[in-house]
Parts: sequence; structure tokens; C-alpha cells
Amino acid sequence: MYNMKHRYLTVFVYLFPSLLFLGIFTYYPIFDAFRLSFYKANAFTPQPVFQWFKNYIDFFNNPVFWQVVTNNIIFAIVTIVPTMVLALLFAILINEAKVKAPFRLSLFYPLLIPYAAAAMVWVFMFDPSLGPLNRFLGLFGFRSIGWLGDRRYSLLAIMIMTIWKNLGYYMLIYLAGLQNVPAELYDAAKADGANWFLQHRHVTLPLIGPSTLFVFVVSIIQSFKVFTQIYLMTQGGPGYSSSVLIYYTYEYGFKFWQLGRASTLTSMMILILMFLVLMVFSIFGRRVTYQAG
Amino acid sequence: MFTDQVGKGNSTRYAILVVTSLVMMFPFYLMIVMAFKNPKTILTGNYLLPSLHPTFSNFINVFEAANFVGYLGNTVFVVTGILLLQLLLIIPAAYVFARLEFRGSGLVFSLYVIQIMLPLEALIVPNYRIISSLGLINTRVAMILPFIGSGYCAFMLRQTFKQLPQSLEDSAIIDGCGHLRFIWSILLPLAKPTLIVFSLISIATHWNDYLWPLIITDSDKVRTLTIGLGMFVQHESGADWGMLMAATLFISLPMIVLFLAVQRTFIESFMTSGLKG
Repeated sequence: MYNMKHRYLTVFVYLFPSLLFLGIFTYYPIFDAFRLSFYKANAFTPQPVFQWFKNYIDFFNNPVFWQVVTNNIIFAIVTIVPTMVLALLFAILINEAKVKAPFRLSLFYPLLIPYAAAAMVWVFMFDPSLGPLNRFLGLFGFRSIGWLGDRRYSLLAIMIMTIWKNLGYYMLIYLAGLQNVPAELYDAAKADGANWFLQHRHVTLPLIGPSTLFVFVVSIIQSFKVFTQIYLMTQGGPGYSSSVLIYYTYEYGFKFWQLGRASTLTSMMILILMFLVLMVFSIFGRRVTYQAG
Repeated sequence: MFTDQVGKGNSTRYAILVVTSLVMMFPFYLMIVMAFKNPKTILTGNYLLPSLHPTFSNFINVFEAANFVGYLGNTVFVVTGILLLQLLLIIPAAYVFARLEFRGSGLVFSLYVIQIMLPLEALIVPNYRIISSLGLINTRVAMILPFIGSGYCAFMLRQTFKQLPQSLEDSAIIDGCGHLRFIWSILLPLAKPTLIVFSLISIATHWNDYLWPLIITDSDKVRTLTIGLGMFVQHESGADWGMLMAATLFISLPMIVLFLAVQRTFIESFMTSGLKG
């Protein structure tokens, strides 16, 4: 048997390497971002200058900042809600179908295509004159839409592409969750005269709470890391119409080389992410455990 | 009612599934068809149907214009490096959280869980400063290091290790089996489904990486496939759709092939792994 000292030594040796990496690349960066967010630090100031909350105040007074935040919120809502609803719908349909594999694959494969590659295809899809999307809409008499070059549609185009890309992953998580729902419950619901919709409303939905929570949290985090498709499809434009927080941070940090301001944006993003995730867990976390238990 | 029809009629269900699948597959179909088409034909708008005389010239032009084989090597190096180091560092940690709980282990474990919520993309500025002070800008190692301490991996493996009965461990220890041997010869074989799912997700995720390699590299020698494709587009002005789709297909295909090869195991494992949350 192991004595206590030996046990603690094992614990230390097993944890230390991964904790070291977490410390260097996650926790020190958080500290560093908050610290530098109070400094004026850019390519023209060799020595960072402490300036209290000036960076924060400047952003709050900057309409572009608010546009970017609004875009991020719109992006989150408009991608998360349809993606979750469709993912669940298709998971149920596929789960009940006899033939599963081809449908599963055709929904899931976009996850395997790198965003950079997917962005190229979708630039073509959205091409105003040549692209298949406008040609399809043209069949119904719609006028040609500028998509990526039109500030009214650029964010929408990015969102459509993102839904296409992520749908299959969430569908698969729901499909896994559905395997835990006992089939007898559907028979019981059927015996009570519940139709297809009611069966799923009263049996499936309550029982797949954990999957829903997981999908919801993952997609919130995802909506704050959309970068590649924006960088390659619109560069955040036209104007700032399709820019989101992470893209804006990239611009400040690595286009304008204002690392102080970029750190301010980073700090705000950390706070927003932490706030959202804690909120989701405190609102839904407990209820989900009860329902699943 | 619409929903009733979906539930009852099998034909309605399959109609919905078939149409959706076709819509979802369309971009990939387009990628393949256009990669083998003459770029001039594409510009006439005649790209929807596969051409009767597929051309390989797009691929030849791509490999002449940019070092995609080199990019492929870099991507494989980075992706493999990340996965191996993640497993090497996280498996012992997950073991501790699942089987060797100590006072405060919950608190320490939450450090890993919080990391899941803070993707590296959100922390590029401070991480750039760290990599730069370590003198690792423009190296392949820099593309690996920040991803090693994976909270996601720790979370998944801990769930899996926890599900195995304690009696298994007790008898192993009575047999004089040390921690490492227990992990290697008993835990890991039993955790195979989770390991497969995590590995595939890790590979697909980092094959996809863009923002971090973009800011951390600036020479062609260390560039990965995704960055190479982005640069290629900027240089080629974007009008040559045939070439572009050939390059796009080239960087996507390895993941698709890998997935098709392990699809069965992956799906089965995914359905039984601890990923369900």
C-alpha cells in the first residue's frame, strides 16, 4: 500500500507538467492582459505608460467598439439558436431513421474541412455574379445580392457559413444524448396518445438536458472565437459591418500594433466569457442535473 | 399538422433528410467539380456539372505556385506534436483527478475546466508576448506549445477514468501494480473510445488552426496548410477559381480521408464516450 507521502509525491509529479503549461499559456496571459490593459503600449511608445482606465474609456466612447460588440451579440444569437434547433431536429430524425450513415456523414463532414478551405468555397458561393446562391435566388426572381461586399448582408453571409460548418458537430452530440433515452418512454407516451411532436416535447427534451447544456456552452465559446472565416471572407468589412471582438482585437494587436488597447479588448472578452459561462451554469446547471437525475 | 406528418410518414422524414443532405454536401461537391475544371469554363458560369474531360492542370499549377507539400509537412508536424504532448501531459493529470483525489483537488481541477472556456483565440495578445519573450516567434514549436495544457482533454479523460470500478484498481494494487503500469495496461485500453474521439477532434481542430499560426509565423518555411492557402489566395488575386479549389481540396482531403477510415470506430466511440456532458 502507498503511504501518504508517496501519494502526494505522485500527485505532484503527475500534475506539475500540465499545470505548468496551463500557467504559462492560460493563467499568466490573463494576468498579463489585465495588467497591460491599463497601459499605453504601442509601436511608438518604447516604454509602456500607465494610464489607469483610459483605454477602457476610449473604447466605451468609440462607436466602432459598440458596433463590434453588437455584431458579436447578433452573431452569437443568430448562429446559436438555429444551429441548436436544427441540430436537435436532425438528430431526432436520423435517430429514428433506418438508414443513418449517409445523412450523418453529410451533416458532419463540414467540421472536418478547415475554416480556411471552407471560406474559399463560400466566397464562391456568395459571389454576386458567378455564385450559385444568387443564381438560385434569381430563379425565383430575386435581385442579385452583394453578400460579402454589402454591409447589410456581410455578417449574415458569415453566419450562414458558420451554421453550415458547425451543425453536424452539435447534431452528433445530440445523437449521443438520444442514445440514453429509454425507448419504453416513447411507447408510454404513444399509449397516452401523444403525437410525434408531443412525445419529443415531453420525453426527449427533458432527458437530453445535459447535451443541451453542453452544446449551449460550447457554442457560446465558439461564437467568441470566429476569426478565420471573417479574416478570409470579409476582413471585417465593409466598414466594420462584419467585425467581431476577436477580429477587432487582432486588428489592434497585429495590424496597428497597439498592444495596450488590444489587451484592453482581451480583458473585456475574458470578463464577458466568464460572465456568460457562469450565468449559463447558475441558471441551467442545477435544473439540468435534477432532470437528468 | 406538419410535425405529425414528419413523425408518421417515413417518406416525409427521408425527403427532409435527403434535401438537407444535398444542401449540406453542395459546397463540397462544388469544390471537387471545380478543382478538375478549366478555369475559363468556370468563368462562363458553366461549373455546376462535372466536366467530361477532367483536367489535372489546376493541381499542377498549385504545386508550382506554392510549396503546399512543405506546408503539409509542417501541419502534420504541428498536429502530431500537439496530440502526443496533450496525451502525455494530460493522462497523468486526469488519472490524479479521477483516482487520487486529495484535499483541494476539485479546486485544482477547476483550473483545467476554466481553460476550456478561455480559448487561445481570446488570449492571442498576451500569448504572443510570451512566445516572443521566449524567442520562439516564427517556429513550429510555437504553434504547438499553447495547446498542450488542454482542459478539454483533462475533462474528457477524467470522466472516463472515473467510470471504471474502484475494485479494479484495488486488485491491481494488491497485485503490486504501480500507478504507471495501472494506467498503461488497464486504464488506457479501457479508455480507448474516449482516446479515439479526443484524438480525432484534436487533429481536426488543429489542422484547422488559423489565427495563432497567422500571428506567430512570418516565413514560408514554417507555414502550415491553412496559412499557406490564405497567402496563396492573396498572391493569386482570387480570380482563378480552378486553382483555388484545387488547393482547397488538397488541404481538406487528408481530414476527410482520415475520418472515412476511422468513421465506424469514431461514431461508435462518440456515442459511448464521456463527451455527452
